[in-house]
Amino acid sequence: MQIEAQERDDVLLRRSAKGDEAAFAELYRRHQAPLYRFALRMSGNVWAAEEIVQDVFMTLIRDPKKFDAGRGALRSYLYGITRNRVMKHLERVPREWLHEEIDEEKASQAGPGFNVKTPAEWMELHERREQVRAAVLELPVEFREAVVLCGLEELSYEEAAQLLDCPVGTIRSRLHRGRALLLAKLEMLRDAPRRASASR
Amino acid sequence: MTCEEFELAGLDLETLREGDPVQIAAREHLRVCPRCAALHENWQTLQADLHAVGAETREAEAPARVEMRLRQEYRTRHKTLKARRVAVLAGWSLAAAAVIVAAVSWINWRKETQHGVVQQAAVGMQKATPAGHAGQGVNVNGTMPAGPEIGETLVASNDASEFTLLPGSLPGTLEDATVVRVQMQRGALDALGLTVNEERASDLIQVDLLVGDDGQPQALRLAQSAN
Repeated sequence: MQIEAQERDDVLLRRSAKGDEAAFAELYRRHQAPLYRFALRMSGNVWAAEEIVQDVFMTLIRDPKKFDAGRGALRSYLYGITRNRVMKHLERVPREWLHEEIDEEKASQAGPGFNVKTPAEWMELHERREQVRAAVLELPVEFREAVVLCGLEELSYEEAAQLLDCPVGTIRSRLHRGRALLLAKLEMLRDAPRRASASR
Repeated sequence: MTCEEFELAGLDLETLREGDPVQIAAREHLRVCPRCAALHENWQTLQADLHAVGAETREAEAPARVEMRLRQEYRTRHKTLKARRVAVLAGWSLAAAAVIVAAVSWINWRKETQHGVVQQAAVGMQKATPAGHAGQGVNVNGTMPAGPEIGETLVASNDASEFTLLPGSLPGTLEDATVVRVQMQRGALDALGLTVNEERASDLIQVDLLVGDDGQPQALRLAQSAN
């Protein structure tokens, strides 16, 4: 069967439930990347993110009737499952940092550090980003979600509120507090080496 | 604008449209408050850092092996479902066929059983009536008409030319009989050994009785109804 590019998710899901593998593949390709990124940024672990995405789509294969198109978009539904899986993972493994598969070359070219000239500058930039990543992972989950969606995935407040199924005001306040906490943590992380060298 | 108000609004300063009163007030506050200016600078740095960290994984997606595994699972699941559906369908078809066979067998068995009972009853009646002539009518000339089939209920014939032999009568004794027409209640036929419709037992009927030389009725026929 042929898949139209604009075919609605719920239509695809219905076809998938009836045994149309192409429809399932299309659904997977549409949604896997943002879900994977969300899981990766929330957990900081590529293996966990992979497992979570697999688990989410496995749920869709096993029980497609659980999704009710009347209650919201499939995207929000999948985000909801992903969030639950992430929470479960974080309960088991509260914090880890296994972002080893990130392409370092791409990482060094991203963002304002694109014009670094010397190895020392590159090292400093790299260290700073590591600190930011670590600080994001240190945030309480509800603030981390807001920072991941609005700060890293760069979604609007409205989109984030839709995905997290909460009011826009909640997203705004969580983001505000999340950023404040991030700043405080970064301050601490950056001051620690200075304090250590000063005490020597 | 106070510092507290700035902290609340300052985060979204860049997202506000140019000329927005909040933005103008916040910029004004930034010029006069060095603490908020430093805070704003920190926010901007953090924003840039977050953007950079986000950009590192902006293109990240699940490895191809995840899709492979999922498609494998999908195929297995739907193949199993299909096989299960076929098995269920086959099961129901077999069950339906078994029910039909059982029903047909039962109907046949019932028919055979009923036929056997009728035959047994007929044999019993043949034994009970002399020489198997019970119920057969004789005409006035003493010839034997074709009587009721074996097993049928003994009833008086409405045919005026035919007499119905009463139970216990012998056809041979009818040669010197006399025909006597009498009017009687239909219920009285019961006393002669005939089956009577109880609803019409009180009706008056005319009956021709074939009376033997011993004065006993040997056969009868219904002449015509009194009503």
